[in-house]
Amino acid sequence: MASVTASSVKFSSVSCLIKQNQVSNLKKASLSFTGNGSQSRRLPVLRFRITCAAKPETVKKVVDIVRKQLALPEDRDVCGESKFSVLGADSLDTVEIVMGLEEEFGICVEEESAQSISTVQEAADLIEELLEKK
Amino acid sequence: MAMKLNAIHFPSPKFPSFALPPAASCRSPRFFMASTLRSGSKEAETVKKPFSPPREVHVQVTHSLPPQKVEIFKSMEGWAEENILVHLKPVEKCWQPQDFLPDPTSDGFHDQVKELRERAREIPDDYFVVLVGDMITEEALPTYQTMLNTLDGVRDETGASSTPWAVWTRAWTAEENRHGDLLNKYLYLSGRVDMKQIEKTIQYLIGSGMDPRTENNPYLGFIYTSFQERATFVSHGNTARHARDHGDIKLAQICGTIASDEKRHETAYTKIVEKLFEIDPDGTVLAFADMMKKKISMPAHLMFDGRDDKLFDHFSAVAQRLGVYTARDYADILEHLVARWKVENITGLSADGQKAQDYVCGLPPRIRRLEERAQGRAKQAGKLPFSWIYDREVQL
Repeated sequence: MASVTASSVKFSSVSCLIKQNQVSNLKKASLSFTGNGSQSRRLPVLRFRITCAAKPETVKKVVDIVRKQLALPEDRDVCGESKFSVLGADSLDTVEIVMGLEEEFGICVEEESAQSISTVQEAADLIEELLEKK
Repeated sequence: MAMKLNAIHFPSPKFPSFALPPAASCRSPRFFMASTLRSGSKEAETVKKPFSPPREVHVQVTHSLPPQKVEIFKSMEGWAEENILVHLKPVEKCWQPQDFLPDPTSDGFHDQVKELRERAREIPDDYFVVLVGDMITEEALPTYQTMLNTLDGVRDETGASSTPWAVWTRAWTAEENRHGDLLNKYLYLSGRVDMKQIEKTIQYLIGSGMDPRTENNPYLGFIYTSFQERATFVSHGNTARHARDHGDIKLAQICGTIASDEKRHETAYTKIVEKLFEIDPDGTVLAFADMMKKKISMPAHLMFDGRDDKLFDHFSAVAQRLGVYTARDYADILEHLVARWKVENITGLSADGQKAQDYVCGLPPRIRRLEERAQGRAKQAGKLPFSWIYDREVQL
């Protein structure tokens, strides 16, 4: 149980407080999975939850860039589900976030792909897709 | 003011050409233009019929200026009479289109027309596309007079009101009216363009109108017009220069004369806003940030010729490529206004006012950086036909 708590705590450090039921859903998901006894495998928990999701490090880098762009206070949670618009990004901010991601990851984001990004997770997923193609 | 702040955070629909820059595909400054409804847009409220003109898609907000602030404009009437009406030119001293066109009463009329057409033959199609777009914009003047008369506190209540504001609006309209007339006659005589397609585009455009999101609010309205007058001054100045480079000195004079009118109008509008900054710095800086967040939409952004659903985008791409009006100009104009109104130096602002001040002062370099990157990555765009020139193709 301790490791379950540990993994769900790690989870909630990245989890979003924007929607309360989202957080509880995440906790439920990790709890039910680790009920099968895979205590030491945290990564599979993520993979199980969302297939083809970006690596946590990628998401973290996106989060950092978004935080910097929007000058968000420390206590404002940002996670994969975070929508740029909800975080207060206007269209110019979103463009600059994409530019920041391009610089950070050394990728080139096509206009059409960039338009489909509205959350941190989507940005991270797109980045990994582009990195894979390189 | 609360209303205005809500407007800033109002969730705006995401549109393909609105949300993100023309990074890899196109160099047009359409990022900075207002969003419009296009066929295929997911956010369409109703299914867009094919071959119908674009519509404004933002929610149209009205009367965002609180009633007590409307009073300010009444109290400014004396000041406006002394300081704004002086920027109008007396009609007797004004140029008229006939001054720049072949004289029909003269025996040399046919030769003058022939010379005009010879000069016009030397001017490339892409220049004409831009000149036509500018002419169509000028010809939609009814929309702009309407827009001025939507503004609380300054509207012409009867059509012949004697308030200085109303006098200004009518006289401004009268001066602007010559611009469309002159360009129309020049283009007609030139023989280089399809007048019927152009006339159709004008009819569609006046029918579409425009909502520059000024919300009946004269703070927003005069900030918008200040920006626009400077933009047209820049644009006509550039078409004048190009005409001269192509060897048509008369056309250069035409564009240059129009540009000088716009400069005079810019002086008047920026003076009004300067006064507003004096009277109500907090309200005015909030208004400035609000307009810039919403982006200054170009007056003719709803243009349609019955054939091209993205006509404005295509036109502005050509204008961008030719350097007639570019994203860099947009940033320059903004920077100019920030300096003109000494926005950086304003003190005693509210917390929101300071945020607005920071936003507006920090915006020009952000736009420039965006534009540099877009330019650096722009792929060579293709050629596209324009109905205004009989579907001849022009590089975007």
